[in-house]
Amino acid sequence: MFHSVEDVIQQLSDQQYICDKQIATVVYLAQQLDKPVLVEGPAGVGKTELAKVVAKALGREMIRLQCYEGLDEAKALYEWEYSKQLLYTQILKDKVSETIAGSQSLADAADRVGREDSVFFSSKFIVPRPLMQAISSEKPTLLLIDEVDKSDPEFEAFLLEILSDFQVTIPEIGTIKAKSQPLVFLTSNDAREMSDALKRRCLHLWIDYPSEELEVQILDRKVPNIDKRLAEEVVQLMNRIRDLDLKKTPSISETLDWARALLALNADELEDQVVSDTLNVILKYEGDVQKAQNELSKLIQKKTAEAAAEKPQQAPAAAAKKGILH
Amino acid sequence: MQKKIIEFTNLLRKSGIRVSVAEGIDAFNALDELSLDDREVFQDALRAAMVKRGDEIPTFDELFGLFWSGFYDNLKDAFSDMEGDLGEMGVDLEQLLSQLAEMMQNMEGDLDLGELAQALLTQNLSELENMIRAAAEEAGTGRIENMLQVGFFSRRTTEQLGLEGAQQDLEALTERLRAMGVGEEGIQQMQELIRKLMETVRRTVRNFTERELQQQNHNYMEKFRREMLTEKSFYHLTEDEIQRMREVVARLAQRIKNILSIRKKRLKRGKLDLHQTLRRNMARGGIPFEVVYKTRRKDRPKLVIMCDVSSSVANVSRFMLQFMYSLQEAFTKIRCYVFVAELGEVTDVFNDKEVNSAVEKALDGGDVINVYTRSNFGFAFHEFWKNHLSAIDKKTTVIILGDARNNYNDAKAWCVRDIQNKAKNVVWLNPESPSAWGFGDSVMDKYMPYCDIVEECRNLRQLSKVVDQIVL
Repeated sequence: MFHSVEDVIQQLSDQQYICDKQIATVVYLAQQLDKPVLVEGPAGVGKTELAKVVAKALGREMIRLQCYEGLDEAKALYEWEYSKQLLYTQILKDKVSETIAGSQSLADAADRVGREDSVFFSSKFIVPRPLMQAISSEKPTLLLIDEVDKSDPEFEAFLLEILSDFQVTIPEIGTIKAKSQPLVFLTSNDAREMSDALKRRCLHLWIDYPSEELEVQILDRKVPNIDKRLAEEVVQLMNRIRDLDLKKTPSISETLDWARALLALNADELEDQVVSDTLNVILKYEGDVQKAQNELSKLIQKKTAEAAAEKPQQAPAAAAKKGILH
Repeated sequence: MQKKIIEFTNLLRKSGIRVSVAEGIDAFNALDELSLDDREVFQDALRAAMVKRGDEIPTFDELFGLFWSGFYDNLKDAFSDMEGDLGEMGVDLEQLLSQLAEMMQNMEGDLDLGELAQALLTQNLSELENMIRAAAEEAGTGRIENMLQVGFFSRRTTEQLGLEGAQQDLEALTERLRAMGVGEEGIQQMQELIRKLMETVRRTVRNFTERELQQQNHNYMEKFRREMLTEKSFYHLTEDEIQRMREVVARLAQRIKNILSIRKKRLKRGKLDLHQTLRRNMARGGIPFEVVYKTRRKDRPKLVIMCDVSSSVANVSRFMLQFMYSLQEAFTKIRCYVFVAELGEVTDVFNDKEVNSAVEKALDGGDVINVYTRSNFGFAFHEFWKNHLSAIDKKTTVIILGDARNNYNDAKAWCVRDIQNKAKNVVWLNPESPSAWGFGDSVMDKYMPYCDIVEECRNLRQLSKVVDQIVL
């Protein structure tokens, strides 16, 4: 349970997730208003992570539904267990004959069987899929519908009932209402625009690349051994790279990977060589790497030139330190 | 507060952000849960409840700044300025007002002070704010459109506010004070106060009107800009606009794709969808009366695009190509040719490169043709007829983009006739207006009989209309 916006920031930070007020406000509101949250933003800024962390902070079980093209209700909601039904019919054959024994006519027999047919269409024979699990769980859960933009528009329409009323309708059984209301997070990478009907039912959260300051904090938290100065440099460079016109802009997860790579290589500052060796950690396309390389080598040269001009007397000391490290 | 939020919602709607009633209610509920001291939290809450698109966030933030920057604070500043001015003239406002209040209580008979005069004398600023807002509404300040109207609406607002009446009230009060034997000095102070009050109110009303103008103007500008982009002729685009236009085209293409995916229907043959079949036939004990197949209908046209890439129509070709590139999935096959006089195929360029560089490369002739010659449609069509006619079958839609300015060369319209005979249909998009077709060196009239659809295509709106027609 979150008690205030500040409390959200605090509790998420206890779970190693640094967030700004905007995110915290929406999370808090989602809890207070029992509304689903539609989280959008570029890939790798921590949309899925947010849901996981909130689940942990609230001590709820997280149920995840990964969306993909062709996902249908049988895989998302429930399915009848045909084989089990068949098996039961076979086993219970005697019982069935018993039930209809002594019936006067065929119609009478049909009626008798008919009275019992709820046996075969009961929750006993339903395989619950993620959405059903989330709704029928005794304890409140957190439902993550990941990459909802990858699903078909039909599926989206079918989500509406769940998102607004927290209930599902199974034709053979009836409507099942949530025993406890799950907290719902939907994430989307903007592969296509979601329908207005879906958006209307959700609170909307747009997570963008974090500010430099926040990103340094995140680095500091997630990569504990990193030198503060190196972290700052990494973040600065990352922001530079994001400004380039790239096919795939690197996000926070790439920043973290890069910082870890640099640590593993024992690099204590960003040099031309180290950077160009590790660029493929953050950039996933050859063309992007080329572009970034040109831009960065310019930047780093300028920086080293400035640094050398500023404190020439310290240069030998730095060189000596490097000698020890290598 | 409620009223202000509703007002803000209307402002958002006017600026093109769609906010439904339910979302407005969400916003209210959200604010109930939060303390409103923190402006940032307040803004985030409203945004989460009302704005559901990433690209609308900047507009929201800007409007929020404009709307909630607090006219009340402005009012307060103006009045404290006034207090300072009076202080310089040796008038202690607070003391004066409290003396006045005291004397007014002791006054005999009815004191006929209007609401505004009372609010002014008690310095009840929130009351004053409400009165100014109401007056502005009466005066129709919401309809303000340009700078020149600020004076007009300010004056109407002050009239509605009844400032004249308040001045008379206060002057009458001064007279009564004089009658009660207040000294000349006191009367002078009183007159000074009235003058200052009137001035301050006028100034704040004007300030209010200007803010209103800013808000309204924002919608206006925004709408204007958007309309401009889709309506603007391709001939007059600046570099910057070409950049922005790309985004617009990408969005339009995405929209069409969404519609397409909804319209896909299941086929009546193909691979069996076991899950769906069993599910559908539960009612019949799992015996498959009704069979469902996995494969979906592929009613996708083949496309052959021929683009004139001479400088006069380069922009139209650019966006057409971008459109088609983005919609590749909607077609079974796209073949793309560019021509000025020579004709060359650039389909490969589209397969290898990402959209922007592919389009630029194609416009540049794609290494296969020389773009620095004079247009010759007849020659280009003849080339196509000789070498590429096999690219066309009866499922193919042929799109030709060009102004048909043939530099007085032979039109060779029979090539287009043969193309039409083989193709499903031929669409000609001409960036010139129909009145110019067939005049000067335009040979549009010669080609027109052999085209199924001929459309003027001078701006994005027309282009997207045509694309809609072809794809859907």
